[in-house]
Amino acid sequence: MPSPETERQWHTLLADDQESRRPASSSLKGRLYSVLIRSQQETGPLASLDASVANGHGICVFEKLVQIAPVSEAAKSPFFCTACHARLLAEHFDNPPISWAHCPYVQFKT
Amino acid sequence: MQTEPAIKTPSETLSSHQERQLVEQVLSKDRKATGEFVAFCTDSVYSFVRKRLLPRVELVEDVMQEILMAAWQSLPKFRGDASLRAWILGIARHKTDDYYRRRLREADITEEGGSPADPAVEPLLDRHLDAAVEQDRVEQTLALLPEAYTLALIWRYRDEKSVREMAELSGKTEKAMERLLARARETFRREWNHAQS
Repeated sequence: MPSPETERQWHTLLADDQESRRPASSSLKGRLYSVLIRSQQETGPLASLDASVANGHGICVFEKLVQIAPVSEAAKSPFFCTACHARLLAEHFDNPPISWAHCPYVQFKT
Repeated sequence: MQTEPAIKTPSETLSSHQERQLVEQVLSKDRKATGEFVAFCTDSVYSFVRKRLLPRVELVEDVMQEILMAAWQSLPKFRGDASLRAWILGIARHKTDDYYRRRLREADITEEGGSPADPAVEPLLDRHLDAAVEQDRVEQTLALLPEAYTLALIWRYRDEKSVREMAELSGKTEKAMERLLARARETFRREWNHAQS
């Protein structure tokens, strides 16, 4: 067994220092978000866009079109990002050239 | 129900009320809240996981997915006793412990053989080395070691597990674990000095 002082030195050398922490890439966050949403969908429909707005969240321009469409609540629940090129870009490229307000993938850019 | 405005700065600290509100919205499967949840939690968890899986960075994404899935499934149990980030880091710690336990169980660790000399680590350190440079060098040196050595050193000195805990969790004897750590320290020291020369 090493001496307590030697042990202390190893702890110091290998400590998890806060300064060298690096953030996750935006593409990783985008993929994690997509996976989490898909997982939520497996247990039933997502909350509607109206519910998101009622919770104080903004919705993107494409979601806004769906929200004002004369369709049922159930029709407003799918994950529309599945069909959006912004999601594809965000999952595959870091800090992609997307900038729509309230796009969930834009917030992951660093 | 009256709610506060949505969280606009997910990278910053949230009040406990904001955290509970975010959790409630994620549990209701609000897609926007889920995005904020990912933005809020991912960086701290990523940094923790990456530093524990080095050099196997290719595993980080899978483990991150496991952690976020586990967090989502356990969110109904979140009571707010600790901050949301600390709570998820607890889940991350369990997941990385599982990984260490699994890998060290599979590792061929014996009790035989003489103990390598175990001098103090201090002589190999340059006291004037910049902290960031030193950390980079530590990570580079860890990446050169056999996986079992890297895992043992990180588990013992970064996660501050006792030798007894490590032995119990990995199904090895304490003596075998001490020998593994002694070899790991010796190999680390050799690689470190080699890189210096």
